[in-house]
Amino acid sequence: MAESLIFYSLAALVLLSALAVVTMRNTVHSALFLGLSLAGLAGIFAELSADFLFAAQILVYVGGIAVLFIFVVMLLGRASDLHLRQINAQWPAALLVCAVAAAGLWRAARSFIAPAATRAPAPTTERLGRLLMGGYAVPFELVSLLLTAALLGAVFFSRLEKNP
Amino acid sequence: MTLSSCLLLSGALFLIGIFGALTRRNVIGILMGIELMFNAANLNLAAFNHFLHPGGVAGQCLALFIIAIAAAEVVVGLALVLAINRNADTVYVEEFNLLKG
Repeated sequence: MAESLIFYSLAALVLLSALAVVTMRNTVHSALFLGLSLAGLAGIFAELSADFLFAAQILVYVGGIAVLFIFVVMLLGRASDLHLRQINAQWPAALLVCAVAAAGLWRAARSFIAPAATRAPAPTTERLGRLLMGGYAVPFELVSLLLTAALLGAVFFSRLEKNP
Repeated sequence: MTLSSCLLLSGALFLIGIFGALTRRNVIGILMGIELMFNAANLNLAAFNHFLHPGGVAGQCLALFIIAIAAAEVVVGLALVLAINRNADTVYVEEFNLLKG
């Protein structure tokens, strides 16, 4: 009972703050609500017994990506942005796309109606580490290569040119 | 908490992300919508792992890879936004016409 109460309140938090992300006029508020939504999703990960994923979500998304968004918004924002329309004129078409995607998702998800969990939650960090260092070692190394490339690319694109 | 409620939540989050990515004029808002879609996919993976394969961790492993790749994507994307903003002095996507001849 308490479990489903926590789940539904976290789900309401995630959905309402995600709606605030896409509808807020002020981009700083959008970035703050993005952090709130990601933190709520981390709570849902914890309830799905994904404890390492919970920690990674907090560290990478809430602590890294949301803060990076806030930094960039504050670097690029201007006061005149607050008086401009932030939603483009094609929003009815976007609603139509969302409706079609909702119908497709509903058709795909209908076959998984209600299987419940069969096992009590257990810590998964040790097994995840063994899997990452064992069967998934090559993708793990490829991800580290990708992160290095992204770091170099970010430095390359965001440096100031001395002599244009 | 059942699998279907998790799938409904992730579907709704994905649709909100699509709506944000399609309708925001600000390129940073578009990147935020893309992040919401990544998170919906992660929630799907964790939920399927918990309910359909309770002994394994392969879904969580894939979700970790998605988190790492999303971090790389957003870092490069925001650096590109900074570079474009330095040249075009705008963050609105309909004014990004540097490549138009």
